Amino acid sequence: MWKTIRQILKTGDATVQYPNAPLKRPEYARGKPEHDSVACIACAACAVACPPNAIQFVVDQKAGTTTWSINYGRCVFCGRCEEVCPTRAIELTEEFELAVFDKGDLEETSTYRLQRCSECGAYYAPAKEVAYAARILEQSAGDDDEVRVAREMLGKCPKCKQRADAYRAKRHSETQKREAGEK
Amino acid sequence: MIIDHDVPESLQYRPDKVTLDESVQKAKLALLNDIKRSVYIYRCDLGGCNGCEIEIFATITPVFDAERFGIKNTPSPRHADILVYTGAVTRAMRMPGLRAYQEAPDPKLVVSYGACGCTGGIFHDLYCTWGGTDKIIPVDVYIPGCPPSPAQTIYGFAIALGLLGQKLHHKETVEQPGEQAPLLYEDVPYKVRTALEREARLYSGYRMGRDITDAFFGAMERGGSVLGNVDELIRSEPDPRKAEVYGKLRDDLVSMVVTDEQRDADMRRAMELVVASNKNVARAQASGTLPAGSAEKVAAATRIPQ
Repeated sequence: MWKTIRQILKTGDATVQYPNAPLKRPEYARGKPEHDSVACIACAACAVACPPNAIQFVVDQKAGTTTWSINYGRCVFCGRCEEVCPTRAIELTEEFELAVFDKGDLEETSTYRLQRCSECGAYYAPAKEVAYAARILEQSAGDDDEVRVAREMLGKCPKCKQRADAYRAKRHSETQKREAGEK
Repeated sequence: MIIDHDVPESLQYRPDKVTLDESVQKAKLALLNDIKRSVYIYRCDLGGCNGCEIEIFATITPVFDAERFGIKNTPSPRHADILVYTGAVTRAMRMPGLRAYQEAPDPKLVVSYGACGCTGGIFHDLYCTWGGTDKIIPVDVYIPGCPPSPAQTIYGFAIALGLLGQKLHHKETVEQPGEQAPLLYEDVPYKVRTALEREARLYSGYRMGRDITDAFFGAMERGGSVLGNVDELIRSEPDPRKAEVYGKLRDDLVSMVVTDEQRDADMRRAMELVVASNKNVARAQASGTLPAGSAEKVAAATRIPQ
């Protein structure tokens, strides 16, 4: 009997103190994905990567907005959104206390403005994403042909961009022909 | 993904949901506000993958010990105060789920457990599931997670029993005028940054790769000699695996930013050092301490490119 009691005292208490005391989670434990709406450029990479469609984008063409939303009730904490995010706007935290009484509390949304095409006036991309791309191009070394073309195309929607590309290719081939003729 | 439902919601079949009459609702609210007894739970699997079950049983082990709060797993719904539903509610398991619900005495609480139980999770749009417990019965507490860890489970029961408060709340943010996403590592050229990030992810995975590039770009941006800072980082790294990845990133950086002429100049200087040592070899050979022919061998192996 005394032996048993001594053994019990020696072994100590294996039970965690949680919820009476905070629980220490292991390093890199996957918890709630935290969204930083300021750092987000609404590029929708996370929505494409999300396996259970917990992250979604809904575009409102009339209002000219796009709404990012996450449903923590559907999230499987795989971290794919964190992996693909180019601006680190979404990161998995160690927060695990997610249980709720009302299902609406599991949802989070952020709304972003869309940008109009500089030629046809149709909405084509989130304004923040275009501004971010512009700043990246500004930062890139300037005389690169690729960068120069990208800067010209920045304000155009895919359709107008395609048309501009075709005209550029035509101009290019004409110049080449002319040069060949001169020779 | 942007999901468009072509068929309007009103034309899609939805199962009838169990509704509660007023007296039961009142008794349930009273129970939620103040449970003055140990609660018995009945676990009901409506087409889950068994991950949730494993975590529930991890919760009743001595480490997490749910019985501290009087929570006990019971084998029959007739003894249950709380019904824990896991799984995305497959068509086949809807009736057994409803039967378990009807068998349990009122007032009872329903806990929707795991991502599948809360919203259908990864199976939310599958043809053979109803997508969540709340599609068939009224749910009181949602415990998300895939699967919820024992700590998450205990937290869920703790808010149901009134030991802790709910932390997560609905949040809506709208883009403010002039709001801009900050650029990461502005001093590192964009193409160099993305190429190095890709390389580091290839070696160490995205999570550790990110930590590695963070340290690497931090060293690059510190000011002074970039390569000097990077060398310092590599020298001070105690983990040889990390140091190796740093070394590979450094090689990539050198190949991207150092011009060919610079590299040739470096190479020539290195070769001159080798030639100087060759002369030493020749001298040693002449004095008889090295075998004949060694100087020629060394010179052939380290010929200076013209």
